[in-house]
Amino acid sequence: MNRQVIEPGRDVLNLPVESLELKLGPSHPATHGTVRILLSLDGERIRRAEVEVGFLHRGFEKECESGLYYQAFPYTDRLNYVSPMINNVGYALACEKLFAVEVPDRCKYLRVIASEASRIADHLTCLGACALELGAFTAFLYAVEARESAWDILDEMCGARVTTNYVRIGGLAQDAGPEFPQLVRAKLADVARLLKDFDDLLLGNPIFRERMEGTGALPAAELIGLGVTGPLLRAAGVPYDIRRVQPYLVYDRLDFDVPVGTVGDNMDRFLVREEEMRQSARMIGQCLEQMSVGPVDIDDPRIRLPGKGKVFQRMEELIAQFKVVTEGPRAPVGEVYQAVEGGNGEVGFYLVSDGTGKPWKCRARSPSFSNTQAMSRMVEGALLADVIPTFDMVNMIGGECDR
Amino acid sequence: MSDRVAEEGPEGAEAGGAEANPLLRSLKERFGERILAIEAFRGDATAVLAPAALLEVATFLRDEARPAFDMLLDVTAVDFLGRRPRFEIVYHLVSTGDASRVRLKLPVEEETPSVPSLVPVWPGANWLERETFDMYGIRFDGHPDLRRIYLYDEFIGHPLRKDYPKQKRQPLIGPGSQGEAGGQGGGR
Amino acid sequence: MAARVVTVDRKAVEQLTGVLGIPATLRGLRVTSTHFFRNLWGWIVGRPQVRTVMVPEEHDPKPAAFRGMPVLVAMDNGKERCVACGLCEWACPVDCIHIVPAETDDEVERYPLVFDIDMGRCMYCGLCEEACPEEAIVMSAKVEISAFSRAGLLWHKDQLLTPVKTLERRLEHIRNDYGRR
Repeated sequence: MNRQVIEPGRDVLNLPVESLELKLGPSHPATHGTVRILLSLDGERIRRAEVEVGFLHRGFEKECESGLYYQAFPYTDRLNYVSPMINNVGYALACEKLFAVEVPDRCKYLRVIASEASRIADHLTCLGACALELGAFTAFLYAVEARESAWDILDEMCGARVTTNYVRIGGLAQDAGPEFPQLVRAKLADVARLLKDFDDLLLGNPIFRERMEGTGALPAAELIGLGVTGPLLRAAGVPYDIRRVQPYLVYDRLDFDVPVGTVGDNMDRFLVREEEMRQSARMIGQCLEQMSVGPVDIDDPRIRLPGKGKVFQRMEELIAQFKVVTEGPRAPVGEVYQAVEGGNGEVGFYLVSDGTGKPWKCRARSPSFSNTQAMSRMVEGALLADVIPTFDMVNMIGGECDR
Repeated sequence: MSDRVAEEGPEGAEAGGAEANPLLRSLKERFGERILAIEAFRGDATAVLAPAALLEVATFLRDEARPAFDMLLDVTAVDFLGRRPRFEIVYHLVSTGDASRVRLKLPVEEETPSVPSLVPVWPGANWLERETFDMYGIRFDGHPDLRRIYLYDEFIGHPLRKDYPKQKRQPLIGPGSQGEAGGQGGGR
Repeated sequence: MAARVVTVDRKAVEQLTGVLGIPATLRGLRVTSTHFFRNLWGWIVGRPQVRTVMVPEEHDPKPAAFRGMPVLVAMDNGKERCVACGLCEWACPVDCIHIVPAETDDEVERYPLVFDIDMGRCMYCGLCEEACPEEAIVMSAKVEISAFSRAGLLWHKDQLLTPVKTLERRLEHIRNDYGRR
């Protein structure tokens, strides 16, 4: 340390100043998802923030290109691993758009239930982690306990909590059992109860409010220019929710609210996510009421595997089974883009087909990537302490951002 | 079960669909020759542009088109190895008001893989173009900071190009490495 | 039936805080103490209210759909049901299955001479089970694969063979579910 001694009479206001370079991450406890933020500080003020990503890059697109269409499903789980089902659904919808097939109603309802339960899990993780990093450890535990219940729903549907691999082209891996609605309602009641406790513990807290209110805000126009979607954009007052503006599956038959904020600061983002969880629970309830018993898979042996019962007994189905597994369904030549509303914004899949069983190009448009990009603009000029709540609300998911 | 929606031709690019799309029609009318082709496969409106027209078309779509395509969702490239032009840069635009979408495609030759950068129009293009550069080696002219984003600077090649083998290993870098390929684990 | 746009209520948060944050603090104390006494009571009467599970001594109950590691079904005579058709090998996205087929003079002529699964690569996705036309490879409830070396993660046929009796639950689930289509 070379301490500068200020001589009497020297102009203290015009001393030479140099900024402090601070590397936040990649293994900082608050940079979950592994990211490095290079901060250039002037005292507590952030002059410049540069976000570095790529620590979790696994070559998603290259892997997808080298496998058959259906083999990419397990990889899509690992994009946003907090809400894996939404990626599954998005990829399946993109494939179905390419193959021009439409799934039966029951399948659509189950996909919506899966997506919304995932969204609850996603938001709970985000809000819980935010609470944790602002010092509210107990609130985090309640959120994680609630998330456990949301994951129980997924577990019951597909047999895994995170690595779901549930949706298939033209159907689902399996149907839900007769006790499923009952279980879902019980689990949602658990989530609602814990969410109430979470709110009571956290929302009114003056420390929490001071960290959240007025921090990280950007005007809506700038967010749009940066390609930010999802709760971040909605908190700034833009009601861009794909479930509303371009309903897919059965969202047009459901009654739900799209919460938007007014200021666009971290508090608004927090409240928007909270409200979205309640709306998701509402949607699941409506799905359970509206859905009826029926097939979940399309009856097209060129695309969806025939049932095991038939495969065991009949030659034609056995041949279809071999063909679909080894060659995969043949896609027509063309390209499609399909977007779904993910936990953090628009999850899009862009498929280019050359007419074979393998995608020529499989691109995942991930919301976290664009959102994280906007992060440096959000914290520039703010205090160092504002980085943490802002980063929490941006909710960068490494798997999705880095692919 | 409503299995197959209307059968479409194997190419699927129904010419009538593209002509019927008012946006594509207006683009064609306004930019004429510089719009190389318009397509509508499965309802996705697509315009193929000459690279020189990109900035003008993008600005038009953002400011003047109705609905205004105010958000750039995605920039990526497709490598058609063995075809000329080899690369196609793909942009996805959306209007946040009513979620109308349009896709812009730019054919790019292998020898001069460079296109104008969209950062002046949409600041959000910054990382997306860096990623495309990282993965495909496409250069974006006028990009303020064209560096690799996912991979490290010493990485050799561009992994999403079709001639980059999936199992290829990179030399080890950093302290203690001998610069040899491999290391144990992974691979097959 | 449509989506409505609503604005979130920031005023309500202000009201939650109250004067000097005292109401908020009291509310928080109420929540934590409710949880504390409920958990304490649960512990006293032997019905814990917490979700913590003492793995590996105890495990959560698993749903019927649970996918653990893939194993080979051994029939009552100890032989595998697998006929080495190789579909699971095809379906596997990570290429962790390796099969060498062979033939015998038995009633079922083909059998796998070698059937290895690299558990270090396997991601429990269940595509092999879905592809199998013989109900020969199924996802068991087992999840513990730890080994002292990478070689220990390569499971051979004799390790994979699991008596059909212990897999009844999963087989029933498959028949119920895949059979429905």
